[in-house]
Amino acid sequence: MSPHRGLAWRLFWRASLADHAYRFLFEPGPEGEAVSLDCETTGLDPAVDDVVAVAAVRIRGNRILLSERFEALVRPEESEAGAESIRVHRIRRADVADARPMRRVLPELLRFIGGRPLVGYYIDFDVRMLDKYAKDLLQVKLPNPQIEVSALYFDRKYGNAPPGTVFDLRFAAMLADLGIPMLAQHDALDDALMAAMAWLALRDMKARGARIPRARGSGAGPPPTGG
Amino acid sequence: MTAGFDAHNPPFDRLTQQEIEEVRAALDIGYFAPGEVIIAAGRSAEALHVVIKGAVEVREGEALQDVLGPHDSFDSRALVHGAAGEDFRATEETLCFLIPGEIVRRLIARNGGFAAFFYSEVSRKLDAFADAHRTDGVESVLRARVRDAARGRAVFIDGGATMEAAGRMMSEADINALFVRDGGRTGVVTGMNLSKAAVLRRLPLETPVREISHFDVVAVDADDFIFDALLAMTRHDKRRVAVRDPAGGFAGFLEDIDILGLVAGNSQLIPGRIDRARGLEELGIAARQIQEQVERLHRQGVKVEAIAEITSDLNRRLFVKLFELLAPPPIREAGCLLIMGSEGRGEQTVRTDQDNGLLLAGPVPETELRMFREGFSGALLGFGFPPCPGNVMVSNPLWSQPVDGLVRQLRHWVLDRTPEAAMNLAIFFDAVAAAGRPELLAEAKGALIALMRGEQALLARFANLIETFATPSLGMLSSIMAGVGLGAAADEIDIKKAGIFPIVHGMRTMAMDRGILATPTATRIEALVEAGAFEAEFGRELISSLRVFMAYRLRSQLAAVRRGDVSREALVRPAALSTADRDILRDAFRIVRQFRESFRNRYRLGSF
Repeated sequence: MSPHRGLAWRLFWRASLADHAYRFLFEPGPEGEAVSLDCETTGLDPAVDDVVAVAAVRIRGNRILLSERFEALVRPEESEAGAESIRVHRIRRADVADARPMRRVLPELLRFIGGRPLVGYYIDFDVRMLDKYAKDLLQVKLPNPQIEVSALYFDRKYGNAPPGTVFDLRFAAMLADLGIPMLAQHDALDDALMAAMAWLALRDMKARGARIPRARGSGAGPPPTGG
Repeated sequence: MTAGFDAHNPPFDRLTQQEIEEVRAALDIGYFAPGEVIIAAGRSAEALHVVIKGAVEVREGEALQDVLGPHDSFDSRALVHGAAGEDFRATEETLCFLIPGEIVRRLIARNGGFAAFFYSEVSRKLDAFADAHRTDGVESVLRARVRDAARGRAVFIDGGATMEAAGRMMSEADINALFVRDGGRTGVVTGMNLSKAAVLRRLPLETPVREISHFDVVAVDADDFIFDALLAMTRHDKRRVAVRDPAGGFAGFLEDIDILGLVAGNSQLIPGRIDRARGLEELGIAARQIQEQVERLHRQGVKVEAIAEITSDLNRRLFVKLFELLAPPPIREAGCLLIMGSEGRGEQTVRTDQDNGLLLAGPVPETELRMFREGFSGALLGFGFPPCPGNVMVSNPLWSQPVDGLVRQLRHWVLDRTPEAAMNLAIFFDAVAAAGRPELLAEAKGALIALMRGEQALLARFANLIETFATPSLGMLSSIMAGVGLGAAADEIDIKKAGIFPIVHGMRTMAMDRGILATPTATRIEALVEAGAFEAEFGRELISSLRVFMAYRLRSQLAAVRRGDVSREALVRPAALSTADRDILRDAFRIVRQFRESFRNRYRLGSF
């Protein structure tokens, strides 16, 4: 996990930005705003797999601006969705056959995001996916600060845990702890929405110094899994 | 993509698919920390909040009114009228959908059913709800059974009998069709068949009916749905079908007019039945029918005030007829039959008790009076009118005496300080003269008003009866109590004590104060508005609130009747109600509390 990309790193990428129309990515976003983001992909390896759907929702203060959402289906150009991933996100090859490729979707997405921090559950994976296209298009990686929801959750629940505690950082476990309704999981917009709700709840808990109680003597829960 | 917004949740269930999409496209989500005030009383709101997860307290000052949970929405007043009536505060971490006010206002303008949710006036809300329920009436008719509607009984005639004999038989049995037995087959001959044969074909009246009967009888089973019968009628182009009983024989006929009767009720037939009754037994049948039509009218979506009016009218006819049947000439000449309490106000639907009495111009023979007292109350008991717990019945000599005696009694009650005395005065003040000499009642009421009118100290004591029961906040009883596990009993509101009684008794007191003689609460309210006692708008709200309570009480009463246990007839469980129902009840309770406050000030009830 790399929750923040350092200043030197940002300067480097800013200097190598190919298209200066995208300089806004390096400006700080509007005060108090962030963007929750989620991608559905053809597989779990950013090196070879592609994005088939992406959704992003702006957050302003304590308000999730669902009405200003960004949603797009994407036609992968390098890889095809395998049976395994289709089962997960239910976006079939036929569904994206008429969609635009990422090089066409990305500029819009980047304008939607601007310089705002990106919020997500294992957001690093989604950003690495997008970086791949950003490097082609702009010769940069996404410079936005990242807010990792699972890290905040870990902190609220296991930050003071004694050694030997078994961690359960599954998305479903986190939502259940936070009392956030389970929407259709593996729908990009719903995932982004749930992550946004989780972030607002966790951020508020942190501000109040509230912690999530751990079940006493909980045995070996299922291991954490990737996004 | 649903984003978790439930379009089946009222009031959104009244939106069209396109309107739902409009809402979904404009949704935001708000997060509120524990203790955060979401909308403050008196403030406007830019969005309608629909709780996704969490809990929101509704407080008026310090008093907790309600606790809203998932699917509940707030606050229509803040959104539409620019000022919230209460504080809305998150009790725990709460997520809400935020629907922009602009969208909501646009939908209100376009969609009447949706708009109803947002009306501030209880009266308009209620009208819109009545419209929404109206369709249930027709549907329930189609789901009724043939046996519930069929009225013509089965009368058989031999195929060889003459047309004339058939005509006479129909006339005597008061029916329009006969079954015709002809050898091994069964046919039908109708009044119309007879007319056509005689008038158009000029057949002699001696013609055997088999020649004009038809033997391709279209029949339905008594257990079939009305829907099936309608299909059969349509398919065969008939206005009448035969009804088969479970044994396979014919039980009678079902006519299209009978189906109409199911929709409109058969209330119009009951007065005739009462008038024709020759004895207690026949009158008892009519009495049962009065009660049965209450449920039918309710099922068909007839408004509660109309049900009460129809029922009261029929009950009064019943009392008059019973009086005629039982009162010996001296009582009939010297007496005035009083109907009191809710029956006197015309507000009784399901029978809960009987309040009646007899005023006499002077002494009558003791034996005849005693027989009448026992006979009259006994007959009503037999008809299913439960006895009055306060013993306000003809059978009680206190309530069946010469007018001078009652006036003395009234004076005694006026000076008595007990709640029982005040209750007796209250019941009497609602009296109407049902039969006999109305001037006797006018005299007694005149005497009571002369004693009380403008007498603030006496009125205050009478008014104080209103303090007998509290009007709770809906929230006190709904979520909280259930939440801390006080069990089902704590999760109920007695709608009669909390809602109906304060309005009824308040209006009664104010009517007495001003010498208003009308008995129905709604009429009293109108007269009080006329007299300047309060604003016309508040008067309308009071009437509507009373009707809201009566409607929910009737619903609960009918359920109690079906359960066979009427002891808990007026209890309503807020937790079992829909958001829309709770919303309307909350509004009605608000009106009652508002009224009680001004009433308390007017009669200085704080000093008791």
